[in-house]
Amino acid sequence: MPTSYRWPVIGLHWLTLLLIVAAYVLASLLEDMTLSPLKLKLYAWHKWLGMSVLFLLPLRVLLRVLDPLDHRAELTEMEVKMSAAVHGLLYLLLIAVPVLGWLHSSAAGFSVVWFGVLPIPDLVGKDKMLADIFKELHEGSVNLLVFLAVVHAAAAIYHHHIRRDGVLIRMVPWLRKKA
Amino acid sequence: MKNFASLVVLLLIATSVWAKDWQVDYSNSQIGFVIKQMNVPVEGGFSRYGVKAVFDPAKPENGLFTVELDIASIDTGSEEGNGEAKRPAWFDTARYPTARFVSKSIRRDAAGRFTVNGELTLKGRTAPLSVPVILTPQRTGGWLVSGRAALKRSQFDIGGGEWADPSVVADDIDARFKLLLKP
Repeated sequence: MPTSYRWPVIGLHWLTLLLIVAAYVLASLLEDMTLSPLKLKLYAWHKWLGMSVLFLLPLRVLLRVLDPLDHRAELTEMEVKMSAAVHGLLYLLLIAVPVLGWLHSSAAGFSVVWFGVLPIPDLVGKDKMLADIFKELHEGSVNLLVFLAVVHAAAAIYHHHIRRDGVLIRMVPWLRKKA
Repeated sequence: MKNFASLVVLLLIATSVWAKDWQVDYSNSQIGFVIKQMNVPVEGGFSRYGVKAVFDPAKPENGLFTVELDIASIDTGSEEGNGEAKRPAWFDTARYPTARFVSKSIRRDAAGRFTVNGELTLKGRTAPLSVPVILTPQRTGGWLVSGRAALKRSQFDIGGGEWADPSVVADDIDARFKLLLKP
């Protein structure tokens, strides 16, 4: 039985975290910036990173489904249910947050051209009121995503340090090698 | 030769007799542009402008077109963009509140299609501008004048300094217009 996920699953998991953190930091910087060429660049990068999270998701789900590791191993029945709920919500938000950002971009009249190369079609026409609504939902959903990611990480740390099982090792196999 | 000259004068008088000073239906007209920001085409436009269109539909080549834009009425697609566009680095509306296009000659390219050659004065700089125009007769008896023109913002010092980098805001501006002339 494997004790960790395969490397592409692990790599894409941490890449997604990196993309989300970078996009979140950029968004926080953008809030206080006045219009400048740098702001336009950072805004574009924020959108490119967010869309990358969305584009990676189907591949991640596919690789995860194909992975032979049994995620229920070492978990109680209750933990299997809670883990399924948190993971389900996380996946939902990994779709919702970028899609709401995409909707906001479309409604604001500033489409996304992924990395300046791939034009992403607009989901809705230009509409100031819709743009404001999608902005609020984008911000609200990202806060929920961050909250759930913290719960997710706390659970992993609990497994590693309190339960002392191999749950965190699945996604961080280098921890085991050091021990 | 003298006869020829008087013939030309007569023709000019004759055409000017038939040329009409058309009134513009501003609520159904628009002057806009598309400019790429970070390679994203962003639409903008002007809400206040004045158009003078004097021509005989039978011979638009002898007509005259002038367009005057109130630069402060610019819509760049975002509120903070609108504020920025009025500043000195961009249009400097305090010093140059209006832009003007005046036709100098009109060439007939095909049925209903013309090239209007003229001069555009923008931010105090004047440059020749060639505008392909389509004249479409309307059922009401009016005309739809539509077309587009390719401009470069650097030619008029629009968006200098930190904004000069065309990879952030492109140098190319795709200007588009649709003017409905009342019968």
